[in-house]
Amino acid sequence: MTTPSFPMTDDSDVAAQGMHRRSLLQLLTAGGAALAVPGLWSSLALAQGQTPVAGGTLTIGADADPIGLDPVTVNAFSSYDFTSLLYTGLLRWNAQMKVEPDLATGYEQPDPKTYVFKLRQGVKFHNGKDFSAADVKHTFDRIMNPATGSRLRALYSSVESVTVVDPFTVKFQLNATDAAFLSNLASNPNGAIVPAGVENLVTQPVGTGPFAFEAYQPNQQFSLTRFDGYYEKGEPYLAKVVFKFYKDQATLTSALRSRAIDMTWVKDPKVATAISRASQSFVSAPGQTSRTFPIWLNMKAKPLNDVKVRRALSLATDRKACLDTVLGGSGKVGAMIPESQVGGYDGTGELPYYKHDPAAAKALLAEAGYPNGLDLGDYIVVAANPLDVACAQILQQQWQAAGITVKLVPMETAPLLAKWASGDWPTLLSVALSWTPDPDGIFQYITSTSGYGKAMGSNDPELDKMIAEARAELDVPKRAAKNQAIQKRIAENAYVIQVYQYPLRWEIWWNYVQGYVPLAANIRSFVRTTWLKK
Amino acid sequence: MTRFVLGRLAWMAAILLGVSFVAFMLMRAIPGDFAIAAAGSQSVAPEVLATIRRDLGLDQPLMAQYLHWLGSALTGDFGKSFVTRQPVLGELLGRLAVTFQLTLLAAVIAAVMGVASGLAAARLRGATDWLVRLWNGLMLAVPNYVVATLIVLLFGLYFPEITVLGYTPFLESPLGNLASLLLPAFALALAVSVTIAENTRAAVLEVANQDFVMVARAKGLTPAAILRDYLMRNALTPVITAAGLKIAALLGGSILVETIFAIPGMGQYLFDSINSRDYPVIQAIVLVAAGIVVLVNTAIDIAYARVDARVQM
Amino acid sequence: MQDNAPVATPRKGAGVTQGWLLLGLGLAMLALMLVLTIFAPLVAPYDPSATSPDSLAPASAAHWLGTDSIGRDVLSRLIVGGRTTLLITVSAVLIALVAGLILGLAAGYLGGRTDEIIMRLLDVVFAFPVLLLAIAVVAALGPTVPNLILTIAIVYTPAMARVVRAPVLSVKQWDHVEAARSVGMSEIRLVLRHILPIVVSPILVATSLTLSQTIFTVTALSFLGLGPPPPDPNWGGMLSEARQFMELAPLTVVGPALAIVFATLTFIIIANGLREVLDVGSVR
Repeated sequence: MTTPSFPMTDDSDVAAQGMHRRSLLQLLTAGGAALAVPGLWSSLALAQGQTPVAGGTLTIGADADPIGLDPVTVNAFSSYDFTSLLYTGLLRWNAQMKVEPDLATGYEQPDPKTYVFKLRQGVKFHNGKDFSAADVKHTFDRIMNPATGSRLRALYSSVESVTVVDPFTVKFQLNATDAAFLSNLASNPNGAIVPAGVENLVTQPVGTGPFAFEAYQPNQQFSLTRFDGYYEKGEPYLAKVVFKFYKDQATLTSALRSRAIDMTWVKDPKVATAISRASQSFVSAPGQTSRTFPIWLNMKAKPLNDVKVRRALSLATDRKACLDTVLGGSGKVGAMIPESQVGGYDGTGELPYYKHDPAAAKALLAEAGYPNGLDLGDYIVVAANPLDVACAQILQQQWQAAGITVKLVPMETAPLLAKWASGDWPTLLSVALSWTPDPDGIFQYITSTSGYGKAMGSNDPELDKMIAEARAELDVPKRAAKNQAIQKRIAENAYVIQVYQYPLRWEIWWNYVQGYVPLAANIRSFVRTTWLKK
Repeated sequence: MTRFVLGRLAWMAAILLGVSFVAFMLMRAIPGDFAIAAAGSQSVAPEVLATIRRDLGLDQPLMAQYLHWLGSALTGDFGKSFVTRQPVLGELLGRLAVTFQLTLLAAVIAAVMGVASGLAAARLRGATDWLVRLWNGLMLAVPNYVVATLIVLLFGLYFPEITVLGYTPFLESPLGNLASLLLPAFALALAVSVTIAENTRAAVLEVANQDFVMVARAKGLTPAAILRDYLMRNALTPVITAAGLKIAALLGGSILVETIFAIPGMGQYLFDSINSRDYPVIQAIVLVAAGIVVLVNTAIDIAYARVDARVQM
Repeated sequence: MQDNAPVATPRKGAGVTQGWLLLGLGLAMLALMLVLTIFAPLVAPYDPSATSPDSLAPASAAHWLGTDSIGRDVLSRLIVGGRTTLLITVSAVLIALVAGLILGLAAGYLGGRTDEIIMRLLDVVFAFPVLLLAIAVVAALGPTVPNLILTIAIVYTPAMARVVRAPVLSVKQWDHVEAARSVGMSEIRLVLRHILPIVVSPILVATSLTLSQTIFTVTALSFLGLGPPPPDPNWGGMLSEARQFMELAPLTVVGPALAIVFATLTFIIIANGLREVLDVGSVR
């Protein structure tokens, strides 16, 4: 029997493992809000001996509108900023990316496959209704109902049943040990709880979060007001949060400089560096390297069904040059899972076929029957992501040097995702992978049983087995070792060419914005502890 | 006269019908599955696609789809955005209002700049004329989005603390509203002002040579009085017509200028919709914009005919 | 412009000289552009697609206009990008010209129902603002070079046809055309020998004006992200890419902006020169 695992942990987690899990959770909740929000936040605000001031409006610049506000059905990443302020879940990530209780006060684990959560009492939804175990059950019933069409259904595939024990106790019965379970519960919108008996959350969201929905004008602004009934004492400090939408980085940064917005995030590290250099009054924080840039290969047919060709492609790729040119070095060489995950690649370790060697690539190609080089045809990339398009252009040049030619096809996001999901792409396709609560979520793209794996022609039973075993492993160091072995196997066979890993967002805000902590989970949970010192 | 007007109106209706057909067919000619585009970021499971096909009537014959779409469009129902899932009409009207404000301000700026420089060139001749014509020639060659980009660049480099991007609604602050539209309107107005200036100059020169002005001059009226009484009245007609005809140019230019200045008008809406391949919105904007141009042109035709009729009397 | 003929009378000689000067200047600018773009690979100091970690570098002896966001030489990209931009512009206008000539001549010469049908159909296309129609068509067809050429040709054909039709309508009543017809000249020969030469002047002027407008439309489309796909450079795309980093590297914006203005100006100058020169020619 092992302790529950908290994926994405660092060394301080070793201490946690020594303690009994129940006492740990009780300790965390007993201290209330102050203890539940330790770390960076306290170092930024409390350590300076400053008392948060209530009131004011925080204006945040965002580059994309939300697409739906119902956490159960939401698919678009752009919605997460909103769901994470409107809804809360049983657990949440703290500033150090550790799981801590939220709507739950703690949980017991009678056996490795059973979790019994005790719920916080006196919590209200924005519509005034009391929160209880029935809402938790309702949320998971909706997720599990195939008619809902929720993408979360697959993430919670290990959940067999959810039962209401009493109004403030709820039991989750799993059909297998699942290292990803708690991380999913702690993530927003994956673990967000929706109220029973309320319809149309897509446009009229009702949650238990620190802010309630006020108004939304598409493409212009989205405003939220302080929810007076929020359960963390004194929080949130802000009276209002307004998101303004600016669709490109140039406009966003200009709006930030002129204080039309108080905070934003940019995708390009060069822009982020330039802005923070422009004034001492900016606070800038890169996220953790949570995102990777992979090239997905269609291995169903010639020539990429030949491992030699794939290895040649890997050898022809100068990952470091891509990193230096596109990201100005702000990132790391990437493997299947980013550094911030359990067993994630640190960017320096030896991986097979990672050393840039065009001559060896040519030799492998000749061996595979292409002595005069090889035309791989279309390389499809996301047109809307300038970093992706830039990297693809560099790759095109690098591969050319090894005798591999490709034609770049920048494509709109929706049809590109459709092609990726259905396997209907000729040879190469790139879609960057965003942060996931658990590394298993990334591996699921490549198992031969998953839709995406089938689409690319994955067919490695040994790899499938390794991935299944890693997910079931609750011991963190053991799981890390297993994940590293999986990544090595992927690199060895060049099933996917991973180029680099980098933070998805570089957050920047004016220094009068206090108490804010950027979170690797790429949501702005800590707007709830933010206040304005003006 | 009535017959003429009725004829023009009938003709306008016919053109609008053709325009609507083109707008509809274009968006059905997109490569790939329209239902996948409609699914947007939703999952593309076959069941989901089947539902979308049924909801959008994609299983109907093309002609039936067109008629249905046209019928709805006539009642103001342009369908729902693929991205926001909200009805297109509400958003479109709000944005149309912003674009209207912007183009109106641009038209005013263009008229003032154009008439002033045109008059100056025609009246003062010599070096002024030469300078105005050189300036006009140059400005004709600078596309509005280049002007807009350079304005934003200059402010970004030298006055980073001044907000030049974004839009303040009129109800929030009337003055802020004007301020937020001034620079984009200027960028939009520049090329149009050139046409107005050239037309003003030509018209003033032409009218100045005509008999009634000669007579007035012979009567001993001061040049300023002649200008006011005769020239303005007679020369401005073609100028105003030209400005009216520029509505298409202003609408087209607003796509770029609004995008650069982050003005939430119809142009930016179109740009965003293109990037997200939000076809119902693209369709609606193409239809509405073309409709406006056709309406304005018909109105000008009819106004012209009235003026002509009066002249012939 | 015909309207102010009385005013221009005393200055006619000056106008012609000025016209030839303008035309000469315009043609020289055009020649410069053509030489640069035709021999682009020889002229460009670097491979326009070669990237380097030396990104967003300022102007230097090695890179006269600095480098872009992934370390490519801006000057080389401008020169090679001119190729794509001018290729699309010129081919599109040529196609529009041919299509406009055929439709305009047919409509103007045959008249009656043919005229009615052709012009009415073209009116539908003409009802769209040019850029809007181009955006809609490219968004539907997909932004490739052939599609861009086709789109822009479609967009400008109605204007070309109108330019051709108007003089044809008046010219065909002229005496020597009537005379030729009475002599029994075949219709096709009549059009080619007598009508086409007379409509040439307005067509030439209109063509060069359309070229200047097409530069605007082509670059605007690429500026909006509807240009030819990377890595091939083009002016509108470069300008739009550079916007993201313009405070860091202003030259990456100024370079393409100047190139676009230069090309547009070239065709406007040629158009004005032609107008002055040819107006006199048509009077004779």
